[in-house]
Amino acid sequence: MNLTIATLTARALFGRRRVLLLLPMPAVLITLTLIANGSPEPVAEWGPIVFGQLGLGVILPLTALIIGSGVLGLEIEDGTITHLLTKPLPRQEIVLAKLAVAWAVCTWAAAVPIAVAGLLVGSAGLAAGLLLGAAVGALAYSAVFVALSLMSRRPVAVGLVYIILWENLLTGFVDGTRVLSIREYAAAIAEWIGGTGWLPAHLAPVTAIVLAAVIAVGGTMAATARLRSFSLAGETS
Amino acid sequence: MSGNAPAGVGGVIHDIGYQRYTGARLGRGYAARSLWTYSLRTAYGLGRTAKAKILPLGLFTLACIASVVLVMVNTQSPEPVLSYVGLVATFSYAATVFAAIVGPELVSRDLRNKVLALYLSRPIHRSDYALAKLAALATAVFVLFTGPMLIMFVGMAFNTSTGLSGVLDEIGGLLAGLAAAVIHSAVFAALALPLAALTGRRMFGTGLIMAVFLLSAPVSGAVRALDDGALGQLAGLLDPVSLVNGVDRWLFGEGLVQTGPYGAVYGLAALALIAAGTAALLWRYRKVKA
Amino acid sequence: MKTTTVELASVSRWYGNVVAVNDVTLTVGPGVTGLLGPNGAGKTTVLHMIAGLLRPSQGTLTVGAAPSWRNPDVYRRLGLVTEHEGVPGFLTAWEFVHASATLHRLPNPAAATRRALDIVELSDVERRRISTYSKGMRQRTRLAAALVHDPEVLVLDEPFNGMDPRQRLHMMDLLHRMAGDGRTILFSSHILEEVEQLSGTVQVIVAGRLAASGDYRHIRRLMTTRPHVFVIESSDDRRLGTVLMHQPSVSGVELVADTGLQVRANDYGTFTRALAKAARDADIRLTGVLPSDESLEDVFSYLVGQ
Repeated sequence: MNLTIATLTARALFGRRRVLLLLPMPAVLITLTLIANGSPEPVAEWGPIVFGQLGLGVILPLTALIIGSGVLGLEIEDGTITHLLTKPLPRQEIVLAKLAVAWAVCTWAAAVPIAVAGLLVGSAGLAAGLLLGAAVGALAYSAVFVALSLMSRRPVAVGLVYIILWENLLTGFVDGTRVLSIREYAAAIAEWIGGTGWLPAHLAPVTAIVLAAVIAVGGTMAATARLRSFSLAGETS
Repeated sequence: MSGNAPAGVGGVIHDIGYQRYTGARLGRGYAARSLWTYSLRTAYGLGRTAKAKILPLGLFTLACIASVVLVMVNTQSPEPVLSYVGLVATFSYAATVFAAIVGPELVSRDLRNKVLALYLSRPIHRSDYALAKLAALATAVFVLFTGPMLIMFVGMAFNTSTGLSGVLDEIGGLLAGLAAAVIHSAVFAALALPLAALTGRRMFGTGLIMAVFLLSAPVSGAVRALDDGALGQLAGLLDPVSLVNGVDRWLFGEGLVQTGPYGAVYGLAALALIAAGTAALLWRYRKVKA
Repeated sequence: MKTTTVELASVSRWYGNVVAVNDVTLTVGPGVTGLLGPNGAGKTTVLHMIAGLLRPSQGTLTVGAAPSWRNPDVYRRLGLVTEHEGVPGFLTAWEFVHASATLHRLPNPAAATRRALDIVELSDVERRRISTYSKGMRQRTRLAAALVHDPEVLVLDEPFNGMDPRQRLHMMDLLHRMAGDGRTILFSSHILEEVEQLSGTVQVIVAGRLAASGDYRHIRRLMTTRPHVFVIESSDDRRLGTVLMHQPSVSGVELVADTGLQVRANDYGTFTRALAKAARDADIRLTGVLPSDESLEDVFSYLVGQ
């Protein structure tokens, strides 16, 4: 993995105030968990909503979307991508470096806080499950969104349509679509390790891991292929 | 500008037929209305390339198709499954995605390219610009609701078994639905546009708006699960979609949110949110450097 | 230094119905070559194709006998400075050029960075963030990043945009020196004075087509449908005018106050031979003969107007 590219990408991400956008989401999660934990209601009542809907259903995909589409998308938008392209680097190396940064940041900004929230309710198993499930989900999401940023001018809008319409709506109605939903993979893995029954897991854990790996690898390959044929016409946007 | 300097002195300005326009000039109101129309067209990608049309018109088409399906379900079953207000509530999540995509499209590019000065050199004021954009977003969302509702009306009116009184019932339902749509659109627009106006990059604007909409829903859901009493009934205030659903329940008697006796609170909160959003947008545009 | 040649053979590029570059065949060898053309002529498209950022729709394009499309290795020997391109403002010039050197896998990035920054004269401000730089300084930073790996081919798109005269002179000087080392330098411009001063060799592109190649003075002489204009100073301009009108190679004469005799000649070669003979036969002494429309501007406006 190319360390220079990774460092530059990380610096570009954290050098702006916008990265602070990522802080409210974990903060809300932790605060809500603390409040709910302090209330007399049993965790089983609010657990599914907080960990499933809020944690895996909103915070994880949204964070991955913002970071994943930003690691290459921002450079494409302002034209600085030519600096990377006019170097004798295999395109795969560039994509892997960007993906590594996206995954790392997403894990820290989303998966870890979700796991911490799991710890706050006193269950180490839940926390470990959430951490692993969310980390795998983060990898799959990041690969998809990095590829999306190379294929579309509006990767965030398209990614949102995927998250809202596909993952949140369709999977509720059409069971078959669950096979292609990254949220299902994350939930399945988390349930397998945590075993609390609070998360909406419908896939077998092995299926989930295999599918997540397929999507992560597929996304990476798609992104590499697109980057190899990246065209810069001249007057952009 | 015509004139002739005497020959032999430095230079001469030649009369090539330019004349000052001395006719009627349409004023500020016309300019603001034009901006509203133009922004509305931009929202749906009309007058732009095909790629700009995909997302908004795609969502609109999906909503209409879903409406057709709902009409079929409604007519097959003995009692209508979904009323007009219910339709508005069902499509509210799609409407939030729509607002998150279209809102930044309306304001972010003007901010990024710093063209506000060009607008202000015409007879509109900063507040006119802001309000025109807000009205355009609200109208665009309203259209998203109206299309499906009209389809439903046509479907139900043709299938009514009680003749004219059935049609009149449908019209009544439609009017209620339209009123609900107005409220929903106004609240979503008043929330989405100030957030979009914070950044010049559409990517971040969309992400920010969606973060606000998506985060608040489970939070409000969790609070409701935590408490069955007053706090649970007020939990809907925390989330825009639940908020407008609560207003629906108060005004039309149907809505997915249990408001208990607090219906009026929901109504007031909706009004307050619209007012606050508008004020925030006006304040933001007062501060933007032109 | 090993020399590298850029060759285009029947290269075309189109976008749907719009043909941006139309059947261009040219060779760019060592030295400085100017790619000249009005805005929208297709210069940037040609340069981006050479730099491997755009695929030719038709034709073959090679840099040193290897294609540049989908070939990251070509960047070992090629450096590109695009027209508008952002530079990450949060980095300093040193960090930016050093990153470029590292990404080029140079054995000693620090030394290469030092050299590149010295060449563009940014050494005294290299530790400041790029966001504090002026436009010309940012341009020079990008140039340093493109030179850091000592490329044999340097492609520059409108490099003098936004530079003040001193910087422009300095850049021209720099490009001349680099060309003297045997490098192939190709730059585009729509400002004729720049191209005139910097390179004798031009490739003129108009509306996607290659209108002319070579030394612009030679091109001028090839433009036989347009009369050449000379200004002649002599001991008797008026009489010389009548004498010259007898010559078949002359199409017009004009007496211009304070300047001399302006002569329009159809055929450069015939006229120049005939002039001396005619003047001697008429016993008129010539004190000055100047071709007055051999500037690049005249060549260019002729080619564009074709």
